[in-house]
Amino acid sequence: MTSPASGPRGSEHAPFIHLTVPNAALYRQVMRAFLAAKERFAVHLRPEDVHAALAPEYRPTDPDAVVKALDSLVEWGNLRADPDTSRVTAVEDFYRKRFIYQLTQAGEAAEQALSVYDEALGRRGALQAVALHDIVTQLRALLVIVAEREEGGPDAAKAHLALSALTGRFEALAENARAFMGSLQRTMDLHGVEVEVFLAYKDRLIQYLERFIQDLITLGGRIAVLIGELEQDGRAGVLLRLAAAREAADAAPEDAESAEEQAYERWAAKWSGLTAWFVSADGRESQARLLRGRALGAIPQLLAVVRQLNERRAGRSDRSADFRTLARWFAEAPDDEARHRLWRAAFGLYSARHLTVDADTLAERTARPVPASTSWAEAEPLRISPQLRRTGSYERRGRARRVRDRSEERHRLAEIAARQAEEIAAARARLATDDTIRLSTVGELDPVAFGLFLQLLGDALATWRPGMTNTVATSNDGSMEIRLTALADGTTAEIRTPGGTFRGPDHLIEITDLTRPGRAGRPPTGRDD
Amino acid sequence: MTTPLGEVLDGRRTAEVHKAARTLLKEPLLLARGSHADEFRLVRQHASELRDWFDRNTGWSLRVDAEAARLARTPGTLADPTHPAREASRGRAPFTRRRYVLLCLALAALERGEAQIALGRLAEQVVLDAADPHLAAAGVEFTMERRDERLDLAAVVRLLLRHGVLRRVAGEEEAYVSGSGDVLYDVQRRVLAGLLAARRGPSTIITEDFEDRLAELTAESALDSDELRFRAIRQRLTRRLLDDPVLYYEELTDEELVYLTRQRAFLTARIMELTGLVPEVRAEGIAMVDPHDDLTDVRMPEQGTHGHVTLLLAEHLAAMDGEVSRADLERKVQELAAEHGAFWSKSAKQPGAEAELVGQALERLTALGLVAATPKGIVPLPALARYAVGETVVTEPGPASSRTPRAPRTPRTPKRKAPQS
Repeated sequence: MTSPASGPRGSEHAPFIHLTVPNAALYRQVMRAFLAAKERFAVHLRPEDVHAALAPEYRPTDPDAVVKALDSLVEWGNLRADPDTSRVTAVEDFYRKRFIYQLTQAGEAAEQALSVYDEALGRRGALQAVALHDIVTQLRALLVIVAEREEGGPDAAKAHLALSALTGRFEALAENARAFMGSLQRTMDLHGVEVEVFLAYKDRLIQYLERFIQDLITLGGRIAVLIGELEQDGRAGVLLRLAAAREAADAAPEDAESAEEQAYERWAAKWSGLTAWFVSADGRESQARLLRGRALGAIPQLLAVVRQLNERRAGRSDRSADFRTLARWFAEAPDDEARHRLWRAAFGLYSARHLTVDADTLAERTARPVPASTSWAEAEPLRISPQLRRTGSYERRGRARRVRDRSEERHRLAEIAARQAEEIAAARARLATDDTIRLSTVGELDPVAFGLFLQLLGDALATWRPGMTNTVATSNDGSMEIRLTALADGTTAEIRTPGGTFRGPDHLIEITDLTRPGRAGRPPTGRDD
Repeated sequence: MTTPLGEVLDGRRTAEVHKAARTLLKEPLLLARGSHADEFRLVRQHASELRDWFDRNTGWSLRVDAEAARLARTPGTLADPTHPAREASRGRAPFTRRRYVLLCLALAALERGEAQIALGRLAEQVVLDAADPHLAAAGVEFTMERRDERLDLAAVVRLLLRHGVLRRVAGEEEAYVSGSGDVLYDVQRRVLAGLLAARRGPSTIITEDFEDRLAELTAESALDSDELRFRAIRQRLTRRLLDDPVLYYEELTDEELVYLTRQRAFLTARIMELTGLVPEVRAEGIAMVDPHDDLTDVRMPEQGTHGHVTLLLAEHLAAMDGEVSRADLERKVQELAAEHGAFWSKSAKQPGAEAELVGQALERLTALGLVAATPKGIVPLPALARYAVGETVVTEPGPASSRTPRAPRTPRTPKRKAPQS
């Protein structure tokens, strides 16, 4: 350890040992401090510098802990220690062995490897909406270049540049999409993830996905159209050949021919990759379409994860542990009654239970309320059906009840109906007039006839409009017709009934009984005044 | 006939809310699929109203989603052992210790597991969990090798099927019990998540005493103001009035009794509004009685031999003054059999059936809060008097009239002093 040249211990991957020993976090922080220093072109660090550079949560209170860590790292070959030759101001410092430390090549390589590792694992993958815009721009540029060339000004340099930019952008997009798919899957599979972290991530992800899908739909279509235009008449081929020729120009003279061919093939492959990405053909779906499907599908998957998390959260404590605890309680409960009580309290899956009361008892209680201070013993007991009390059943078992004969009632109903029909017919006959008469000559009416008359009058008056002097109306049931003419002489008509006298301005009326064949009304009777 | 439309709609709405609330009180875990689909629809329709009511008056939370409605109920009293978990099959036998333990272990396994599970796999996991040293110390072990153990597991699974935690995809439990097959289920995680209604997760409770565990399971959070304490009392009383057949004043604390005396009309009116139950207020307590005779799992009076025996014994007990021994009751049943036996089922008339008949009747009467068991026998409770028959002078039950008016009753003198608190 004291020797600055002490090499790696044992295996050739000793610089990774610090990851697997206790205090690994501290070691990693120390190494990070050296990397950060190197970025600022500081090569050597003293223990106190390292101590100061550590993040507060990792910084040991005792500076000696840092020295120990440094020495261990020296032993594993991550660091190199050189004697510190600077001036000291205290005697004890002078007697203490002092070193300054710097990264070894192996240590630096290990750190690089670790950062690549972290990045790869930490990368969420991202969809690049901007890349789509760039691709559209480059494709447009290519179309312009082709058009220029058709006019005679072939510009290989421009074509090459545009194609390079296009493929560069496209490769980045494809790479990202792949990473995105991978990380999406990882997100969906998360088990035991922190709920808050996930929920925050979820919101961002959904917003992002929505925007990207929108872009992919609009721009993807436009890109497919542009590609189609470029492929017309082999324009794309021409461009690719131009780019290939330009690339091959740098090749050694003897390879010139084959170099151009190779370059062309390379470009053609890239181009077909691009085409396959955006244009569906030969029953094969384009990558863009697949990606869209995946991105769309990601949303419901994400929601399923959210639901799972919510279900887990629905019970604040760990439900599985809860149930195991309950199992223990049931096992340890003193007796069955205790267990039934525990079941009721813990699960609450019981039915309400109530005594019943029948309608008769209830009606009697409403009629004669029982004071609240009455004891149950003094209050009237429940009425219980004697049938139930005797037999334990509300219905008589065995014989079915005989169907009751209702012919007598039916006969009575028929009689009533016939009598009513007769009365109405008589009333109609009473009302019908042979000719136009004055209302005042109608005289006295019995209640049935008067009721009919009022209805008829109501029907007629309903048709009365301002300015009319006569009207014709048919009763609602179509059995009678009334003609009514107003009189201007100011006389009053009176109709007497057993219930009182009906008065009003006199009119001329004619009432016809439409139900009677020949419509010949009997002369009105009872005109006794 | 001339009722305004608004009133008609209001009436209909009230009827719907009644029906929804009553169903929830009978089935606190209501599934969208199955026999209660209509009621579930009503619950969903009036969810916010019901949620408010239960939350305010009982402190029970109501969760409704597309698949199930769950009223997370905490009983108003922890002392009532008459609501056991029951077998889902016809026998409806109460769960035993082994079945309760098995049920919880199965739930623990389902909670950890995936969206589907086979009964055989569930059994394996239960056996693993049962190796818990605490369970072993309590003398519970499962191997699932014996038939009766598999029967227990099948009973547990049927209970879960009934409550919709599991949905059978393929197979039959019988095949598993006989060892010739397996059954596949879908696990309804949402239903499972709402199954436990306890206020606190049992795993967060560390006390060792059973009564303390029970109390902590349902404990309210700190009640540090008068207002919160009063609310807790109101909710406790409402829960008891909603759930239990009779609330005896004797069982209440002084504080609760004072509150109930003052707020009785208000409390019962709220319950009446929601459920249509009618208060029967007496000197000894309150029973919310049901004019529709369906908001209950134990009926009284009821048809059938057992219902009949229960009714007759209730009358007999109501006429007694104080404690009665079981032997007396069994003798009484023999007498009754001579008079009414013609209407009873065959098995009830066999000699030696009395003990079972008396047992069933007492179980029913106890569940309804009408009698209480003592070491020596049975004591009638005050509300039993509502089944008293004065002098049982039933006028000759003529063949045409099934409901002859009862003979005028002579006012009975109170048989015992009402326990006043």
